[in-house]
Amino acid sequence: MKIQQLLSEKDLIICVGSGGVGKTTTAAAIGLQAARDGRKVLVLTIDPAKRLANSLGLKRFGNDETQIDLTPLPDATGELWAMMLDNQKTFDDLIEKLAPDEEARANILSNRIYRATADNISGSQEYMATEKLYDVVHSGRYDLVVLDTPPVKNALDFLEAPGRLARFLDKRVMKWFLQPYDEGRVFGKLLMGTSAVVFRLLGYIFGREFLAELAEYFHHFRDLYEGFAARHQAVIDLFGDRRTAFLIVSAPNGPSLEVAEFFLDELGRRRMHNPGMIVNQRHVTDSGALKAKDVLGERAAALAADLPAHTAGQLLARLGASHRRLRELSAVEDGLVGALMRRMRHGQAVWSVPRLEEDVHDLPSLGRIGEHLCDDPELIGR
Amino acid sequence: MNVQEVLQSRLLLVTGKGGTGKTTLSATVGRLSAQRGRRTIVCEVDTFRPALTSVLGRKPGYAPTRVAPGLDICNVTWREALVEWLGDTVPGKRIVKAILDNRVVQPFLEATPGLRETVILSRIVKLCDQYDQVVVDMPASGHAISLLGVPGVAMNLMRAGPIRDRAQQIKARLSRRDTALVIVALPEEMVVNETVELWERLHQEVPQLQRPMVVLNRSAVPSLSKDETALLGRLDADPELIGNAAARELLVAGRWEAGLERGTAEALERLGAEFGSNVVHFARLGALGGFDGGPERIVQQLAAALARQELAERQA
Repeated sequence: MKIQQLLSEKDLIICVGSGGVGKTTTAAAIGLQAARDGRKVLVLTIDPAKRLANSLGLKRFGNDETQIDLTPLPDATGELWAMMLDNQKTFDDLIEKLAPDEEARANILSNRIYRATADNISGSQEYMATEKLYDVVHSGRYDLVVLDTPPVKNALDFLEAPGRLARFLDKRVMKWFLQPYDEGRVFGKLLMGTSAVVFRLLGYIFGREFLAELAEYFHHFRDLYEGFAARHQAVIDLFGDRRTAFLIVSAPNGPSLEVAEFFLDELGRRRMHNPGMIVNQRHVTDSGALKAKDVLGERAAALAADLPAHTAGQLLARLGASHRRLRELSAVEDGLVGALMRRMRHGQAVWSVPRLEEDVHDLPSLGRIGEHLCDDPELIGR
Repeated sequence: MNVQEVLQSRLLLVTGKGGTGKTTLSATVGRLSAQRGRRTIVCEVDTFRPALTSVLGRKPGYAPTRVAPGLDICNVTWREALVEWLGDTVPGKRIVKAILDNRVVQPFLEATPGLRETVILSRIVKLCDQYDQVVVDMPASGHAISLLGVPGVAMNLMRAGPIRDRAQQIKARLSRRDTALVIVALPEEMVVNETVELWERLHQEVPQLQRPMVVLNRSAVPSLSKDETALLGRLDADPELIGNAAARELLVAGRWEAGLERGTAEALERLGAEFGSNVVHFARLGALGGFDGGPERIVQQLAAALARQELAERQA
């Protein structure tokens, strides 16, 4: 499948992979390419490098959908929008939407445990990414949404994020936990058997004050449960939708290809649509071994007339050595990527982006990455 | 924090942006300490696919596994840490079992803010009493901040009880002189920026941590003279070489390595301005700059480089 086809057929593209492989840049380049082809695109990103964010005019906080000025690329016929995810804001907005009344909303937003959960607790970022994703995909404002996922050490975190909050707000758990509070008694008194023991114990472990506050927290959330459950299911459905594609992003080195392999297996097992993998930052050489002296000797000598006698010879020796290293590196990368390709499924594709000499921090350089992605991929099994 | 202090630390936390080489560095320090006769353990934090497996050749479980004389590895998984923590905290095995067997309590414990992190850190603090050195291969940047910041959050939320006590113990351990932090970076502008930001945020969230040692991995030592650089520029601009594919490729290769050297110099300057003299750089190893030559060899070479740096510090 050519990337252009993917960009025109899908509503949602989710970029996954380990940290430091250029996931954010790739998501932005994909979005830009689709916008050049006439689609209205939103790139939802987590934490782009400052320079890229600045040059695109992105604001760091507040979940603002910002339109990117595409005048540097006059051929673009669509629109590119970008948004940086703000965890706390997303959570607050969600409560705002789901709370049945003003009082319930105020109660939750001021609860100390809620503040701590939304701010500090691991997994909330992944959850909020999926939450915001649901929002923008269903807003109908965009033809295509591209999601840049947070770097996770445990690669499963992202796919499982929607389930975590749902488990947290599981009805049985809340009912059990709130039972003594609902009956207006100090906990433990009315309960019998194991529950009573466990409750007393939780009080001992967490301190009764905290437990009471936690009960209040759950209590407030109880009214929101139906809304959460429905949204959880909607996100799961969205992941499995045939108009959604997961793209694995990797760098051509062992550790990030290992993560890529894990995603290949995991996405396959979950039957999620995974057209293939993008390998960034590949070192490419086109020629075989070169003798620098034969290729450049004459010109180097001519251009070095005013420099110390040994300069040309030394530079040529270094260039020869650099080229040998580059070829060696390129061969190692080919070997690593090739080994993973043998494990991919029939019909999946590998798109390669060569390492660019410049830093990618503006629209024209993002555009060049997009153009490389439009080259024919290597297809598995053909 | 210099190499000597890092090597002599009791608790060593290793973090940095993803893909910088945290696991390799953790394994390296562990290997070096064990060779010097310290009882050492290298821990991963609740990872699904422990990266240590590929570096030290064995898959770590929750219980420490011996991989070399004096060197153990483990994976501090949350569920096992919770069982241990409950066992330490709650009197009576029967009660612990009652808690763990209760189907609704499980998700409750999983969802209680801060418990997961507190329990994991508790296990790590406990290991500090059983080993001479505990090296923690921490999660990447943002996740490391949440992990280390949680005891502070828990102490705000819980005014009494064993969690608060435990959070206090963790805080005390993090404040000790023999607790060290290493941030691993690469000579790339984005990674260097993130390294600086990471320390700013960590310092804010966990003010008791001492200033880190920064390891600049995969750096390139300057090799081109000024004259050679000038000549490279002239060849690049030479109209007669346009269209000469072989010449272009040699020049690309030259610019590639010159760029790596420049990147290293810029990174060292920036990191030096932020972290002073506590920046250590390691050369690229092999064609992939650290990823080939076999993990064992890389660990050995890094260990030798660390030892050299330590010697230089002693002599200075």
